[in-house]
Amino acid sequence: MFIGKDLDRVDALAKVLGTAGFAHDLRMEGMLFAAVVRSTKPHALLAGIDVSGAYAVPGVLRVVSYRDIPGENTYGAMRKDQPFLASKRVRHVGEPILIVIGENEAAARKGAARVRIDYGEIDAVLDPAAPGKGQTLIGNILACKKLRKGDVEKGFAESDVVVAHTYRTTWIDHAFLETEAGIGYADEDGRIVIRSSTQNIHYKRAEISRLLAMPEERIRVIQATTGGGFGGKLDVTVEGFLALAVYLLKRPVFMRYTREESFLSNTKRHPLSIEYKTGARADGVLTAVKVNITGDTGPYASYGDAVCLRAAVHATGPYDVANVWADSTLFTTNGPVSGAMRGFGVPQLAFAHESQLDEVAALLGIDPLDIRIKNGLRRGSITATGQVLSASAGFVETLKRVEPYWRARKKQKKGSGFGLGCMYYGIGNTGMANPAHALVELGEGGRVILHTGACEIGQGSDTVLLQILLETLGMARSDVLLDRGDTDTSKDAGSSSASRQTYVSGKAVQEAALGLRALLDKAGYYKGRTLGDIYCAMKDGGRLLFDGFFDPPAPGLDEATGQGVPYATYAFATHMTEVEVEESTGACRVKHVYAAHDVGKGINPKGIKGQICGGVAMGIGLALMEEFIPGKTASFDTYYIPTSMDMPRVDVFLVEDEEPTGPFGAKGVGEPALIPQAASVVNAIRDATGVAVYELPCHVERLKGLMEKKRMAR
Amino acid sequence: MKRVGFTLNRKAIACDVEENELLLHTLRERLSVTSVKEGCSIGECGTCTVLIDDEPRYACLTLTAKVEGREVKTVEYLAHGDLLHPLQESFISHGAVQCGFCTPGMLLVAYSLLLKNREPTDEQIREAMSGNLCRCTGYVQVIEAIKDAAPVFVSSGS
Amino acid sequence: MLPQFSYLAARSTQEALSSLASLTGAALLAGGTDLLMRMRKGETHRYVIDLGGVAELAGVTEEGGTLRLGGGTTHGRIASDPIVRRTCGSLASACSLVGSPQIRNMGTLGGNLVNASPAADSIAPLLVHNAVVTLESMDGERVEQLERFIAGPYRTTIGSREILTSVKVEALGGYHEGYRRIARRAGWAISRLSVAWALAAGEGIFTDVRIAVGSCTPVPFRPRSAEAFLEGKGRERPVVEEAVRMVLDEIRRISGMRPSFAYKLPVVRDLLLSVLGGDACS
Repeated sequence: MFIGKDLDRVDALAKVLGTAGFAHDLRMEGMLFAAVVRSTKPHALLAGIDVSGAYAVPGVLRVVSYRDIPGENTYGAMRKDQPFLASKRVRHVGEPILIVIGENEAAARKGAARVRIDYGEIDAVLDPAAPGKGQTLIGNILACKKLRKGDVEKGFAESDVVVAHTYRTTWIDHAFLETEAGIGYADEDGRIVIRSSTQNIHYKRAEISRLLAMPEERIRVIQATTGGGFGGKLDVTVEGFLALAVYLLKRPVFMRYTREESFLSNTKRHPLSIEYKTGARADGVLTAVKVNITGDTGPYASYGDAVCLRAAVHATGPYDVANVWADSTLFTTNGPVSGAMRGFGVPQLAFAHESQLDEVAALLGIDPLDIRIKNGLRRGSITATGQVLSASAGFVETLKRVEPYWRARKKQKKGSGFGLGCMYYGIGNTGMANPAHALVELGEGGRVILHTGACEIGQGSDTVLLQILLETLGMARSDVLLDRGDTDTSKDAGSSSASRQTYVSGKAVQEAALGLRALLDKAGYYKGRTLGDIYCAMKDGGRLLFDGFFDPPAPGLDEATGQGVPYATYAFATHMTEVEVEESTGACRVKHVYAAHDVGKGINPKGIKGQICGGVAMGIGLALMEEFIPGKTASFDTYYIPTSMDMPRVDVFLVEDEEPTGPFGAKGVGEPALIPQAASVVNAIRDATGVAVYELPCHVERLKGLMEKKRMAR
Repeated sequence: MKRVGFTLNRKAIACDVEENELLLHTLRERLSVTSVKEGCSIGECGTCTVLIDDEPRYACLTLTAKVEGREVKTVEYLAHGDLLHPLQESFISHGAVQCGFCTPGMLLVAYSLLLKNREPTDEQIREAMSGNLCRCTGYVQVIEAIKDAAPVFVSSGS
Repeated sequence: MLPQFSYLAARSTQEALSSLASLTGAALLAGGTDLLMRMRKGETHRYVIDLGGVAELAGVTEEGGTLRLGGGTTHGRIASDPIVRRTCGSLASACSLVGSPQIRNMGTLGGNLVNASPAADSIAPLLVHNAVVTLESMDGERVEQLERFIAGPYRTTIGSREILTSVKVEALGGYHEGYRRIARRAGWAISRLSVAWALAAGEGIFTDVRIAVGSCTPVPFRPRSAEAFLEGKGRERPVVEEAVRMVLDEIRRISGMRPSFAYKLPVVRDLLLSVLGGDACS
């Protein structure tokens, strides 16, 4: 009925009418505005702060510092190491130091600009390759993850070809169209309420609780309509400042970041340097992969641990390799804080492993598709962490879906090229618990209500969760109400990250719905009794609430070897990209992408296509144009993301190798949509020009330079 | 302060504004038309797109004083009460809406395109939409939605 | 938030000139895409005189062999104007690439020239068409070659009481002309390099060659010696290669050696080889 149906998104109507209440649009009578004073230095002691200039601005009410924090001044998704407001020292440009609260935005920002700060500059560590000098709360290495499988030196000894290169990527910005924003106020009971643009709510409530030394029950976090996240709204952004401001002034406070502020302050995709060595036999079988990944994580942990680990775990790509050695190390610096961004390190690794594989294939005279089929993970394969894929491993099927187009490819003109990019991606958090609850209620008047904490950030979770609910209950859309994103009415669903909500919240929703279904079945609903009747008959017995719960079964990894089960399920994909490179200028146009994804089960195929097309765009950006340059990148004038004119034709193919533990077999696609795209563009460029790309972005000047170098070497 | 008279979505408006006031601010803060978004403030994202005499422009770079006597349209112009404009229906049915922040601007540009050109090619649609950034959709279903709405396009005139 | 200023809407060129002459601290507002951006970053003026409502400043007319483009004409209007497309194709092309569609609806030719960004797309094609600008003030009118008017990056010879009211360009019929620019994405991007050209070559002989290169030198320029070299010569590979060498030499002579030339010069070379050599896709 509802599974596999292109149901219109339930949030689309308000969005096309322009009535959707984004955080940017929230207003309250008498609301104040809070502006952040940020460090202009990468590393400095705060020798003196003079706020008199701020207070001299009419309309400025209060300047807040770390001293005003009643609870803990540090937060962090994985380690509590990042200050809300700097106390004695700042460790990156943009680090928050004070908040200035004014009657309106103009006054607050003017006040913030008038604060005088004396910086005692300290040597900044900006080069991750020069460790040992930086001193942060974490020390100079954030994390070092190791993966050891088999005997990699033996593997290289058995190989007939060895290919070794270093691949480099740089900081990338999420560039969600709605910048960070929110409003905070105290309700009639004096509880602090925060509405913000966010990818999670229970986590933010927990951080605010620590910040204010206040029990969680006294805090409520509500997700406003959120204009994109991509990993950039997982960390606390405005929520802590809003809560602190409301706590101190007892009045509603609004915040929104300017675009420049967002670029400056938001976490970034980790720049990685990937030393990759691949060994293969003459018949194309990969015998060994040795990878050394180093990255710059900035001064605070954010999601660095997760990125560090994912990079190592996914380093081989979706291939069966008997001998694997991977080291993944993130160094702390005084550069931008790097954290969660769509793919958590895997898009960068895909660039490396797919380039390597094409080069191996070329050396051996094997077709790039054939070498992938030969080595591709499938049911029964053992992954790099020693996990046996017992189910839902449709990678080879994704290759086969693209195969007819691959075999038929014809270079239309000089500069035409075709490239493959493949990936696999573990759904959910790596080797740790990441459960979701979902509450399904038979409420007033017989209305079925889904209470979920799963944040809709544009990816379509509202609609998918409802489809799962409706399918399980066998009801109509009009029978059901969605209550989403309120810590008061929902239980923790975990963050909208790691492509996990369809799989984890979806399963929780299904479990809760099955509970209600059993009750309704017993009460005669499926024999014709109305929901209203059933509700009336049963309501006096208390709330008819069913709590569904799911935590993916992923026991975890061994510290020393990285062996174990990091994820309960994986998504797999193949992208085939056609490019046209103009020899005279180096301009690379992406003409056509064929994208095949094993999603387990496509709950809403139209929505999945939308995610995949968005991922293709982001991948083209990563490959060809995006780079955040600290100190130079200011806004969209100096940070280019693809426009409609950069997009190719996209053909989407869904493979459904059902995941037994997922709702109706579904897995996830949010990050997989992006992960293989840049890799396939790079391989297409190699096919078109003979040029090997080892550094991203391969923008027009860089590509022309590489082509020119190759020309002169001939 | 200056009194500026213009038409907003068919209604005659007379608004007292600062002489240095931007149309984006007037719309969002004075007139509570929050469908017009502020994504960057420097004319580099398109979320503040409005139609002025049916031409797409960035409200963040338009002084309100400049629209004296003009017709300004925001996305509220498209629907008639409960009746959605075919473009809005097409956006919904084609999955062209994800986070929705770029959507109002996109709809307005699409509207102005189809007003002038009832049979746009894919290339023409791409070009017309190239001043509106989207980070979610990759533009594919947006272009499909506009293409499919073209044959059933009506001006929202009366 | 913009700094405070008083706003005046001019209803005619005369009115604008009169205000400009009598007020101190006044700036002219055309499309707003440059001025308001600069004011966002802190530039202040006491008055802003809006030329947007001065109808006579916008429009394209043809007289004899000359095209007159009003200073207040938007890039979008120029890009789509049939006369411009017919007789000044490289300019139509260039204007169609300025900013985004919305920016092209707002930004004007005059505003763009007065701003004189080294990356301004319209300049190279205008040079190819021997553009002459007209500057009016209360004291009268003067005309100046565009090459002289653009004095340096973001610098022109415009006086504080002058308005650039029109640009006159040579209409070229039957020329092969075009405009290419290099940018980091397909649309809505700053040009990092641009080349405009208009060629007349009958029976394999170059009769008139005009080239202009932007973003390689402090201001876009025409490599006159290379143009002169080509005139009357046969359209053959060695001739074309020599001319291209001369262009590159002149760029290096003007600018010295710059890191960006590692990619820019090969692109100029390859574009010009293709354009001058007569390749199908230029």
